[in-house]
Amino acid sequence: MLRASLKSLFSRKLRLTLAIVAIVLGVSFLSGAFVLTDSLGARFERLFTSINQNVDVQVALSDDGQDADPTPRITQAQIDAMAALPGARSVSGDVSAVGVIPFDREDGKPATTSGAPQIGGGVLGDDPFALVQLADGRWPSTDDEIVITRYTANQTHSATGDRLRVFLPEVNEAREFTITGTAVYDGDRDSLAGETLILFEEGFAQRTFYGQEGLFSGAYLGARDGVTQEQLREQVAPIVPDGFEAKTGEQANEDAASEVQAGLSAITTYFFGPFAIVALLVGIFLIFNTFNILVAQRASELALFRAMGASWGQVTGSVLIEAVLVGVVGSTLGLLAGIGLGLGGSAALTSLIGAQLPGAGITVSATPVILAYVVGILVTVVSAFVPAIRASSVPPLAAMREVNRPDKPLKALTIVGLVFAVPGIALLILGLVGSSLTPLLFGSLLTFLGVVILSPLLTRPLAGVIGRVVGWGMSGRLGVRNALRNPRRTAVTAAALMIGVTLVSAASVLGESFTRTIDQTINQSVGAEVIIQTNTTGGPPGEIGFPDRATEQVRAVPGVDQVVPLYVSIEARVDNAAPPFGGTFATDDLAVMRDMFSMKAVEGDLRTLQPGEFVADENTFDSRGWELGQSVPIQLDKGAEQQYRLVGVYESTPIWTDTLVLPKQAVAGFAGPLALQGYVSLDDGADTDAVVDGVERVMADYPLVTVGDRSALLDQFDSFIDIALGIIYVLLGVAILIALLGILNTLLLSIFERTRELGLLRAVGLNRRGVMRMVGTESVVMAVFGCLLGIILGVGLGAALSSALIERDFLTVIAIPWVSLIVFVVVAAVAGVLAALWPAWRAARLNVLQAIAYE
Amino acid sequence: MTTATTNIAARAVDAWKVYGSGEAQVIALRGVDVELEAGHFTAIMGPSGSGKSTLMHCLAGLDALTRGQAFIGETQITGLSDSGLTKLRRDRVGFIFQQFNLLPTLTAEENILLPLSIAGRKPDPDWYKTVITTVGLGDRLGHRPSQLSGGQQQRVACARALVAKPEVIFADEPTGNLDSRSGAEVLGFLRNSVRDFGQTIVMVTHDPNAASYADRVIFLADGGIVDEMLEPTAEGVLDKLKNLDVTAGGA
Ligand SMILES: Nc1ncnc2c1ncn2[C@@H]1O[C@H](COP(=O)(O)OP(=O)(O)OP(=O)(O)O)[C@@H](O)[C@H]1O
Ligand SMILES: [Mg+2]
Repeated sequence: MLRASLKSLFSRKLRLTLAIVAIVLGVSFLSGAFVLTDSLGARFERLFTSINQNVDVQVALSDDGQDADPTPRITQAQIDAMAALPGARSVSGDVSAVGVIPFDREDGKPATTSGAPQIGGGVLGDDPFALVQLADGRWPSTDDEIVITRYTANQTHSATGDRLRVFLPEVNEAREFTITGTAVYDGDRDSLAGETLILFEEGFAQRTFYGQEGLFSGAYLGARDGVTQEQLREQVAPIVPDGFEAKTGEQANEDAASEVQAGLSAITTYFFGPFAIVALLVGIFLIFNTFNILVAQRASELALFRAMGASWGQVTGSVLIEAVLVGVVGSTLGLLAGIGLGLGGSAALTSLIGAQLPGAGITVSATPVILAYVVGILVTVVSAFVPAIRASSVPPLAAMREVNRPDKPLKALTIVGLVFAVPGIALLILGLVGSSLTPLLFGSLLTFLGVVILSPLLTRPLAGVIGRVVGWGMSGRLGVRNALRNPRRTAVTAAALMIGVTLVSAASVLGESFTRTIDQTINQSVGAEVIIQTNTTGGPPGEIGFPDRATEQVRAVPGVDQVVPLYVSIEARVDNAAPPFGGTFATDDLAVMRDMFSMKAVEGDLRTLQPGEFVADENTFDSRGWELGQSVPIQLDKGAEQQYRLVGVYESTPIWTDTLVLPKQAVAGFAGPLALQGYVSLDDGADTDAVVDGVERVMADYPLVTVGDRSALLDQFDSFIDIALGIIYVLLGVAILIALLGILNTLLLSIFERTRELGLLRAVGLNRRGVMRMVGTESVVMAVFGCLLGIILGVGLGAALSSALIERDFLTVIAIPWVSLIVFVVVAAVAGVLAALWPAWRAARLNVLQAIAYE
Repeated sequence: MTTATTNIAARAVDAWKVYGSGEAQVIALRGVDVELEAGHFTAIMGPSGSGKSTLMHCLAGLDALTRGQAFIGETQITGLSDSGLTKLRRDRVGFIFQQFNLLPTLTAEENILLPLSIAGRKPDPDWYKTVITTVGLGDRLGHRPSQLSGGQQQRVACARALVAKPEVIFADEPTGNLDSRSGAEVLGFLRNSVRDFGQTIVMVTHDPNAASYADRVIFLADGGIVDEMLEPTAEGVLDKLKNLDVTAGGA
């Protein structure tokens, strides 16, 4: 039996190719994510090893130390004690901080990196561990002098001897320094991973970053000859100060690399995950359809097996063996493609962040290999299961005569479809009424599956209507008939496209609703004309932004009426639970904030908050079951838990839903003292542009802060949504690509099946163009059918999700993006034409005589 | 000369057809010269593999000759491009095959009108009615091929070939798959369309009885014309065939 199925497999390998392509795509995204993560991780590990090549023991903040307030430091005396250890050859105290951002000398703008840290350090002459060496000039010796790495020099267009403006964290101001030299890393490298590095005189750095001289944030130790890393670590351990821990150099490198790898893997999972899922999901339909058609075409061959005494199980098995083989081939190719993807991705990513990572090799661990085969084979076999069962139900009699097996009535299908769709829709309604997301999501899923199963029923009515629009002339009408003659085949083919379109339509509805909501809310309820924002990719709120000093300066800008600075805490625990989803805020005067944002009190008062008081929005208030006047324990980022009394509740709006506001005093417990955003209202008759200029001048010292008018804020929100939608559109692209393959596949198989009909048509005078138009029309009908189903479903789901979000005040309107939806249909139609090109060409090239004589 | 040629619906001049090359070479036609008169019902007979289908395909523009020429009316079809051949088949030639004559997605009526629809022409209503009545399908016109019997399907195929009034209809064993009664119906129908409407029909057949419906029978053996018979009878044809088999067997 195996021999027989292998033989028939190879004779039809071309027809299985396209099914394999779907597996290849899905598996390659999946394994590519892992290979990329592993390879980059390995390269980062090599990077850390080369950074710390001379370090045998590293003393650094422990996890507890990082959370402690104030941050623990190492004193000079403690460093000296380490130096006195018998195994220690050399010790170097670490003075460094991140968020040290230089300004470009050419345009005066901050020279920021794309994600790599911007480091400042203190030096006392040559580094005993030789991480960086002077390329030219000399080390800084006064408060006014710095050395920068060559990469930093390039980024800021500066050189030794120039004056360079640098933003200093902690003191939160920008100052000018003289560059006394440029430095390079070991091996003459400009940078390690696209970071900037500025080295100050050690005492100055300590005073700036730690508030006083003689303090360090860590220490590096080198071992004497004959002393191992572990031996030295054991010597150091007893004298390590509280909040610190000693690690061997090897351990430190491993930990640092695995931390980077965890971050990378999160990124790649979020990026590649949806692609892999969509590709595999669509692939299931493609494979299902392919096997179904092949089984139908092979009916007489299978019947012959049965007639010769093959059992039910053997026939099923023979089809499943084919599926396994297809899975193995697809997985293997997918794995190879994934490795390629990882290689390309690793190169692209490193060049994107400007990193000069050592080595460009590829690391393939066992995980992606195992995963590739398990997923690839599983998906194929599962998809081929129903066709396999169908194969075994071919009666042996079919071998003897031309049995024209009519399409099974769609009744059973209808029942199964309704079994999914009815509870699905019920759950959807339940979710909408109760505004809870879980039934909504399950409802969406079930409805989706229901519609997929019911789609053959919709083929005749819906695709028929489409056919009336696109089926011009005799060849067009013939194409439409062909699309309708096998509703299941058409429906399954279209369903592959439907998946992608459903996703994108739902996302477009959500995106459009968000855009409109934000537009309305900001225009109606935000009284600020000028808005100060901070680029949050630069660090955690509190540590980035602008200081109170700057707020005061803004208040003094002519034309400014009121200023509301907003401080944000990201790690607060409220009432022993997660913080409100919308954020934990603080401001200096709630009364001003209330007027600025037209906040309405639902209960209590929105007045200037006293220490120990807070207000929350109505949704938070309701969902947490609080009462006015109640005391709630709040644990901020730093310091001890404290009781806050609820003195007011404000109406939930899209910008203020799921939030709470604390008094200014609470900012002491936030991650840092800086305000993240500022909202500025103007005096009557003040010129917005002039005020923007004035505020911009104040904020020029704070590199991550931007100033704009209200429309700039709107643009910014829109661009967030556009980025999200952009990713989803790429997803659509992948889904459409695979769905196209599905259409192509179905067409090729159908054409093969209808060779004789094509011959007849050609014999009675249909020309090649007519044949191509016929195939093209069939393709367009399938594509547009799938697209319309997807749009109907997607808009429905998007609207359902939107209305759930309206219930929770994240949205105020449901907006349908008509233009985008029309574009989808046009894209689908064009895609249909493209998918038909090759099959149509093949159909048109068919030798008439052979087609007639076929079989 | 002019009068002579106008009476010829299709002809072949020194027609050669060679399949394959070297060891596997098969010569299906060896210099066939034949003229098929307009308004006549011609049958082509001969043993299996003698080249009957090949000759018909080459005359109908479905296949190209290796050497020699084929004409429909006065149009030389050897050397026509694919689109030229397609147009020729569409406008001037009709086909009836042994089976699989109809598109399963179309009703009987749509199948009958298919060549006209492809050409974008409307049928002559009187002629259409005549054809439909002659074929006698009346109430079955709205049915799909799968709902028709084999004989009915072949009658639909005949109607399709007739309705466009082609210069020649080529039929390759049109009754090969039918029982004798349905076969007789189809053959009677073909003969009547020649008698009553002056249609030209060329039919390949194995059945002496079927051949007896024709005005003339051409006998083919081993790729060449070996004999012919006018106003044939079933018995006469059978005798000829027996002789042919003897000569072929002796050779
Ligand atoms: N495509 C082809 N390739 C090679 N040889 C062919 C091809 N078509 C026909 N032949 C050969 O050409 C010869 C004539 O074939 P043809 O089909 O014309 O015979 P026929 O008289 O119609 O036979 P039958 O009565 O069995 O239909 C045969 O020997 C056949 O094997
Ligand atoms: Mg033949």
